[in-house]
Amino acid sequence: MQVFTSALVLGIFATFYIITEIQNYKNRKAKDVQSIAAVVAQNSASSLQFQDNQAAQATLAELHAVSPDVVYSAILDQDHHVFASVGRAGSDTALFREYRNSVGAFFSAGTLIVVRTISNNTDKIGSIYLQVRLNELARMRSYLFRLAMVLSGIAVLAAFLISFVLQTYISSRLLALVRTMRRVGDTGDYTLTLADEGTDEISVLISVFNSLLLQIRENERRKDEFIGVASHELKTPLTNVKGYLEILRSMEERNPQRQLVDRAFLNAGKLEKLIEDLLDVTKIQTGQMQLNLTEFDFDELVSETIASAQMLSKDRPIVFEAKAARQVRADRQRIEQVLANLLSNAVKYSTDGKPIVVTAVATGGDIIVEVADQGEGVPAGEENAIFGRFYRAKGVSQHISGFGLGLYICRDIIQRHRGRIWVRNREDGASFLFQLPIAGPDFKQQHSSTKSSM
Amino acid sequence: MKKLVAYAIIIVALLTGFGIPAAAQGEDLETNLKAAFLYNFTKYIDWQLGPDDAQFVIGVVGMSEVERALEQIARTSTVNGRRIVVRHIDRLEEIGGCQLLFIARDRRAGLREILSKVNRGEIAVAEENGAAREGAGFNFVLAGEKLKFEANMRALSSSGLKVSSQLLKLAIIVKK
Repeated sequence: MQVFTSALVLGIFATFYIITEIQNYKNRKAKDVQSIAAVVAQNSASSLQFQDNQAAQATLAELHAVSPDVVYSAILDQDHHVFASVGRAGSDTALFREYRNSVGAFFSAGTLIVVRTISNNTDKIGSIYLQVRLNELARMRSYLFRLAMVLSGIAVLAAFLISFVLQTYISSRLLALVRTMRRVGDTGDYTLTLADEGTDEISVLISVFNSLLLQIRENERRKDEFIGVASHELKTPLTNVKGYLEILRSMEERNPQRQLVDRAFLNAGKLEKLIEDLLDVTKIQTGQMQLNLTEFDFDELVSETIASAQMLSKDRPIVFEAKAARQVRADRQRIEQVLANLLSNAVKYSTDGKPIVVTAVATGGDIIVEVADQGEGVPAGEENAIFGRFYRAKGVSQHISGFGLGLYICRDIIQRHRGRIWVRNREDGASFLFQLPIAGPDFKQQHSSTKSSM
Repeated sequence: MKKLVAYAIIIVALLTGFGIPAAAQGEDLETNLKAAFLYNFTKYIDWQLGPDDAQFVIGVVGMSEVERALEQIARTSTVNGRRIVVRHIDRLEEIGGCQLLFIARDRRAGLREILSKVNRGEIAVAEENGAAREGAGFNFVLAGEKLKFEANMRALSSSGLKVSSQLLKLAIIVKK
């Protein structure tokens, strides 16, 4: 588009230039020849008056000698009859016929015709007719044309190159910005600032983008910091509460108030769990989460965890089918946390009476654990989103409590073990699965994928 | 012959330019031409007329149709803004006071005598062979069929009047 505009503008200017140049040349030439005509007219006045054709002829001959580009000249009397003439073009040429009776300067077919009145102070006594061939004009025209073409060609080429380079320069920077924005959007990694060394509007855009990212990072940091601080603050008085409740419980061993204490204790436990979740999240975010790896019997862990979970949900049976029969190298406490979380979710989201089935299978170098419940299942399309921070299933009844952090923490733990965790929707419920390498996360082995749940 | 006809047309054109009616066509072509030339001469000579000169006098010595032609011209034309008066001269004594003097062939007096009466500020024009050599300022001659004129530089310079080169270049220069 730019190139076209440039070319158009250039074309207009070139044409204008050529036209004016030619026009100027013509004007100058006409002036020159007019001057010559004036002098000759002056000199031949008397010849006319005294009818001295020879003298007039001689004057014209002189003119031709001095100005070779005069092809034909003639002195005409008052009746426009030829009094004297010099030149090849006879009086029968078209031009002569056309212009002999006019007065002035005329351009026709590369020839300049000048006709001037010869007067004797007051009266017209004749006229002089000059026909000049404009050799230069044709040459000038073609020269100017070629010059204009070449210059225009160069200019168009230059415009093309410049616009091309500029576009690339602008586009590439903009595209880099768009790419970065997309990456940030996709990964949530706000450290991806874009480097730029310019001073134009695009640089402004990029620097605003970078400062925006900075702001976001700062906000995130503050948020995490706050969570950490808040969790600590919450935990302290809670510990006290639990302490006092413990004392009360041991005192109220056989009293009816014991129930109240139990409930309070239960709630304190729940609160403690929530806070611990928050703390875990903070640890994960600030990179403080670490694994304490030991070797332990996997089945034993599962059984223990199921037993604890069963105690809290009397109306939903939890069944342990298919055992792995393996020793596993992992962080026992954390894996227990994962299992407990999955079981608690299963209990929360399954219907009364339907059993929750847990299986552990050893295949290859991994153990695959499945916790299958019978309930509403996971909403279609949310299979990945549920592992995100603060995710709570929509449309779920209010009584199911929690910050929505459980699965996020589970995923982090499993990923640190170089395993996978994912969910599979079944007709009658959902199955949560995770895969753990038996040899542990620090075992040097080829893994196809350490990505999070699919 | 053809040329003369052509010139006749030219003369008529010239003369009609000066306001001479077409009736003059009937007169002798040569006469008219001479009259026209005489008038044209006046245009190429600086007469140095003063405020006292109310008119321009052309004297004609002898009998000639040129006189009539001159009178025709005099009716409508001027010299340097002055009216032209054509004076017929019979006697030598009357010669003085004419700026331009036309000496006709048909006369009684001798050329030398007439020329001796020509004063400063006056120019004589003759129409016979050898007149220029004798001392006339201009002399009409026929070159073939064309009317031309001789000019005597000495006579012209002794008149004290400046004659344009444009005129002189057309003349046949005669030196004495």
